[in-house]
Amino acid sequence: MKSKILNDLSELLEKNIISQEVASNITEYYRFKADSQPNRLFTVFGVLGATLIGLGIILILAHNWDNFSRLIKTLFAFLPLLIGQIASGYTILKKKSQSWRESSGTFLFFAIGASIALISQIYNIPGDLGQFLFTWTVLALPLIYLLNSNAVSVLVIVFASYYACELGYNFNFKDTTPWLYLVLLMATAPFYVRLLKKSPEANTTSIFNWLYVLSLTIVLGTFIEDNWPIGFLMYVTLFGVFYNLGKLPIYSKRQLRRNSFVVIGSLGTVILLLILSFNVVWEEILKGATLALNTQEMLITSVFLVLAFIVLMYSMKYEENKKINLFQYAFLIVTIIFFIGTTNAIISTILVNVLLLVLGLFAIKIGANTFRFSILNYGLLIIAAVIICRFFDTDMSFVLRGILFVAVGFGFFLANYVMLKKKKELNQKI
Amino acid sequence: MKTIHIFLIFVIVVLVQLFVPAKMIFDREDILKTGTVYKFKTRPVDPSDPFRGKYITLNYEMDSAESKDITWQRGEKILVYIESDSLGYAKVYDVSKDQLGTDKDYIEAKVIWNNGKSNTVNFELPFDRFYMEESKAKPAEDIYREYNTQRNANNDTYALVAIKNGEAVLKNVYINDNPIRYYIENHNNQ
Repeated sequence: MKSKILNDLSELLEKNIISQEVASNITEYYRFKADSQPNRLFTVFGVLGATLIGLGIILILAHNWDNFSRLIKTLFAFLPLLIGQIASGYTILKKKSQSWRESSGTFLFFAIGASIALISQIYNIPGDLGQFLFTWTVLALPLIYLLNSNAVSVLVIVFASYYACELGYNFNFKDTTPWLYLVLLMATAPFYVRLLKKSPEANTTSIFNWLYVLSLTIVLGTFIEDNWPIGFLMYVTLFGVFYNLGKLPIYSKRQLRRNSFVVIGSLGTVILLLILSFNVVWEEILKGATLALNTQEMLITSVFLVLAFIVLMYSMKYEENKKINLFQYAFLIVTIIFFIGTTNAIISTILVNVLLLVLGLFAIKIGANTFRFSILNYGLLIIAAVIICRFFDTDMSFVLRGILFVAVGFGFFLANYVMLKKKKELNQKI
Repeated sequence: MKTIHIFLIFVIVVLVQLFVPAKMIFDREDILKTGTVYKFKTRPVDPSDPFRGKYITLNYEMDSAESKDITWQRGEKILVYIESDSLGYAKVYDVSKDQLGTDKDYIEAKVIWNNGKSNTVNFELPFDRFYMEESKAKPAEDIYREYNTQRNANNDTYALVAIKNGEAVLKNVYINDNPIRYYIENHNNQ
């Protein structure tokens, strides 16, 4: 962006659009801005370098050098750890720059892993990957706050999720619920909250927005045990929490690509509803669901339901959320439909299909009102997806299916064309 | 917070980071030095771990015991008391949920499943991984298979395990009283 403006300056000067003074002011402004910013590129390469060296050391040690004696191998286990600790300690004492903090923290993170990996190897310590990852993450966790390091926080979240998946998506008798994942994630939360308060616009903050949402979405499945049909409800309510969080001004004022909460909340709800729009799914739910509150799945659902409801109520305080947006209420409606579904599959199937169509129309309406083509087409896509899905499980005649397809295709053209025209008119008026 | 305070907390974290691996080492060294050593008959196969390298998984012949108790749950802790048989291999003396008042050595294992009808409980011994140099784990498995197909009474594969207070450290894997590494080196020289 910066270079683009600077490149255009000479052209603007030649054409007498701006004066020499304005041009030099602009150049001066960008020079000052660049000076006051830390060297981001250096930080990025520092972290990348430390990650590669750290992983490289782990791989070299994993070779298992069995010609060395146990003592030498043990010394090698501590060497990277000590180097990482000295570098990090030096960084703290000398109050080094952010680049130092990120790089030394990243290196120390991997050195901890290398050290306990090598000791496991030397003494043939049993225990699966999950336990190993957990010890590693816990030992590295305090570094987030001590070094004030984004990179270590990212690594802790990623490795905590890895641990949870290793423990929870293990389809043998070791399959357990990774409750400690929640503790690890909560431990990283204060850092994220501080980041949100200090620099909500920063790219790092958006990386964390995405990381938390994706991590929770991926890991939630590990909390499903025997009562699998309630898993649908768990996800619907989680997406409800996400979407409503995304509607709070701290997120909703940013661009959509930074607002992972709205994106995943909305997409997740729609994908889940598309799955639930098949009658077979409801028939299976009818057979398998237990609504007893004392199952793990129902408890988690209840927590998310309450949480989503609180965030929904809270978001109503803000002017922009006063108008009814069906996406914000989707989790409540689906929960009600789900309870109907545990007694009658057909009614639920129909209700889900209707809900999807209405959501599609709602998205089109929001898109048209705000002149945003992405949202308008998202709505059209939802409707198209419902129609395509219905082609798999209904006995409509080919002619009827053909006509429906043509109609939706025209819909795409027409809606986009009408909006483009309106937008042009509006621009001309201004 | 002042830098010096942050640094002091950092020093504590550093000490914990050093203590955890050091404790892992001291515990194992203690078992190796002062624990009792047993031989367990075994069958190896080779998988690998993304961070810790290649290992061979060991399945033990001693994997079940008689038990009248039918309340064993999958994944539950089980104390396996052992003694040596006439050939020097470990065999089950008794299994229990709590410690027995005997001076026999025991291992903490995990219940895999419980066959109430035949009064047996199957368990998984914890020392099931033997880490090897990456180029040697696969040959180790092949060599074992080679020796195992020439089935005769002289071919015995066993793991040497030091045991103390319920904890165990796997020392080495042997075929006919030679470490498995010895066969790999001979194999490579041929």
